[in-house]
Amino acid sequence: MTIRNTRDVIDAEVDGRTRRSEWVKNVNQVTTAGVWYDLTGSSGNPRAKQWFDAAPLTAQRIAQSTDGGIFHGADVAGDGFTKYLREVRVGCASATPLPMTIHVMDYLLYYPSIEDGTTDPQVMDNTLTLPRYTDGAGVQMMAVTVASRTGGQSFSVSYTNSDGVAGRTSRTVTQNAVASPGTITTSATATQGGADPFIGLQAGDSGVRSVESVTMNGADTGFFALVLVRPLATLMVRGIDAPYEKDLLLLGNELPRIHDDAYLSAIALPNGSLSGLAVRGSLQAIWG
Amino acid sequence: MPGFTSTDQIIAALAAGQTYRANWGKNANPTAAAVANEWHTLFRGAGNPGADALFNTGTNLLFQAVKDNTTSAGTIQHGGAVQPTAYKYLLSGSAVSAAATVVPGTLALVDVVGFYRVTSVTTATAQSTTNTLGQSDTFSADAGTDTCTWTSTANYPSNILTGTRVRLTTTTTLPAGLALATDYYVIRASDSTFKLATSYANAIAGTAINITDAGTGTHTVSWLLPRYTNGAGLEAIAFNSNATAMGAATPNLSLGYTNSTQTASRATPTVLPIGKTAASNSHILYTGATGTGKYNYAMPKQAGDAGYAQVDTIQNSVSYVSGEYTVALVRELAQFPLSTLGLAAEQNFLFGTPSLPRVYDGAALYWLWGSGVATPASSAFSGYLSFVWG
Repeated sequence: MTIRNTRDVIDAEVDGRTRRSEWVKNVNQVTTAGVWYDLTGSSGNPRAKQWFDAAPLTAQRIAQSTDGGIFHGADVAGDGFTKYLREVRVGCASATPLPMTIHVMDYLLYYPSIEDGTTDPQVMDNTLTLPRYTDGAGVQMMAVTVASRTGGQSFSVSYTNSDGVAGRTSRTVTQNAVASPGTITTSATATQGGADPFIGLQAGDSGVRSVESVTMNGADTGFFALVLVRPLATLMVRGIDAPYEKDLLLLGNELPRIHDDAYLSAIALPNGSLSGLAVRGSLQAIWG
Repeated sequence: MPGFTSTDQIIAALAAGQTYRANWGKNANPTAAAVANEWHTLFRGAGNPGADALFNTGTNLLFQAVKDNTTSAGTIQHGGAVQPTAYKYLLSGSAVSAAATVVPGTLALVDVVGFYRVTSVTTATAQSTTNTLGQSDTFSADAGTDTCTWTSTANYPSNILTGTRVRLTTTTTLPAGLALATDYYVIRASDSTFKLATSYANAIAGTAINITDAGTGTHTVSWLLPRYTNGAGLEAIAFNSNATAMGAATPNLSLGYTNSTQTASRATPTVLPIGKTAASNSHILYTGATGTGKYNYAMPKQAGDAGYAQVDTIQNSVSYVSGEYTVALVRELAQFPLSTLGLAAEQNFLFGTPSLPRVYDGAALYWLWGSGVATPASSAFSGYLSFVWG
């Protein structure tokens, strides 16, 4: 069974097949204006999840049942249902980081401990594959700082695309000099090649199934992780007096699916430091 | 039947995952600020998608098609090809800038169909372009119904529209009734079938050529434009595609072209666009402050025309001294007006009229930026685009 029409959406809510979850992330890192930051590693509810707690270069799956994330309710496929993200809200009680864009995403898989200090290709172990969106359609790569670096070096990623074609090469991306763990290392809106949190794919590709290797074009200190994510919704907070709330279906014609056991979290593009601030939000899921 | 006829069908498509979400972040031209009221392409700006390395490459005055998988094109991805089993549409999207120095302004989302690179900028006479029919796929013919059926799909033949000029080749013998080196005009029957007419008027009237046998060997149809193939709705833009500024000159800019009813010898009207002296990288040359010779991003067309099937000549009336520019054919899909710092322009295209802009297979999506105030170099824009197919 799945949602087929407007009546099914209404029925899901009338019949109680819905759940609203509140979340809060307390950021203790100094973030930088115009540089994307992964809220996953910040404390709060849900609890922090770090990207270094596994064997280096070995793919690790991410799931609600093992890692937490913004809780979206129990699995529903066993009852014949499919779950969807229906409504999102987010706000921040300080003007310092605003306006701020936030992407809510399903975090799927990560490759920990990619070293900045070698220019040799760093080959990944893909014994574990994507737990959701298994063909990689719409799946994007983001590089999250684990240990700080000088910055300025570039790298590229060899990957298998969502059509199953191996040996694809990402655009060459340049790392920023922001030290805070959780920073998206390749983002910096004011510098060449860094206006977006995701690593640009080879022309014609729209998704990543797996990562084969990462090659630094120059050595630096530091480590980062590559996290494969599926973006679900975008929120844009303008001011402290205006939390962003969006009925995704009615206002955006969107009904993103939330797979069973999906790990939901978010990244933010602040316009100032988030240090010492809380980002609060909620989401509503329905299933039918 | 591809496409949507009800909101419920769209909901069903969304629920079934027939959708793609493109998050994008794009910087303005990295080398020079935009002056208020100018339009610039964001093709060469940093971000994701990355900067193009395409529009100042290739042979002078040769038409080059652009698709979403063209090497170094730097297009916004939209989820791959879905035709002929489904049609894809732009469903919703947003755009925002967090810089007070950028707003107000307007972002225009365009599908860039192809371009002509102009390196011979010191030539002041009209220069003829080369329009090689670079899109081709194979077909078979049915003598009983005069219907042709596509037998390959490499260049998305389901994109072909009625009235498109084509030519035929074969490995052996064409179907009787058809000839080599002859212009024909497509009568679109479906995503997988078509007929041929001897003229544009006949194509519109549905008067097909009588095919009397299937011929032998493999037959090929070739055409020019990868999308909007008859040219209807296409606009032309002329912009500095190079990293360096144009030379010091203010030439009149004009095109000779074939319009979307396949009528040749059409021309830019009398009050010609005037190119800016020392126009910077990405600048659409004739945009800027109000006055004679200043226009919106689109080159003006001859009265009554609704598109470009091809550009036949390109002229800058005096030497542009140095630099190079590019004439691109584009189709606007949407606009996102940015009014206020940090306030996202969010569009729901289901409720527009007409609703749901079509995104054809291979569409090469890019941004144009119309500055309301001076826009600093490398100003950052971001947002998302949501697509659905069914």
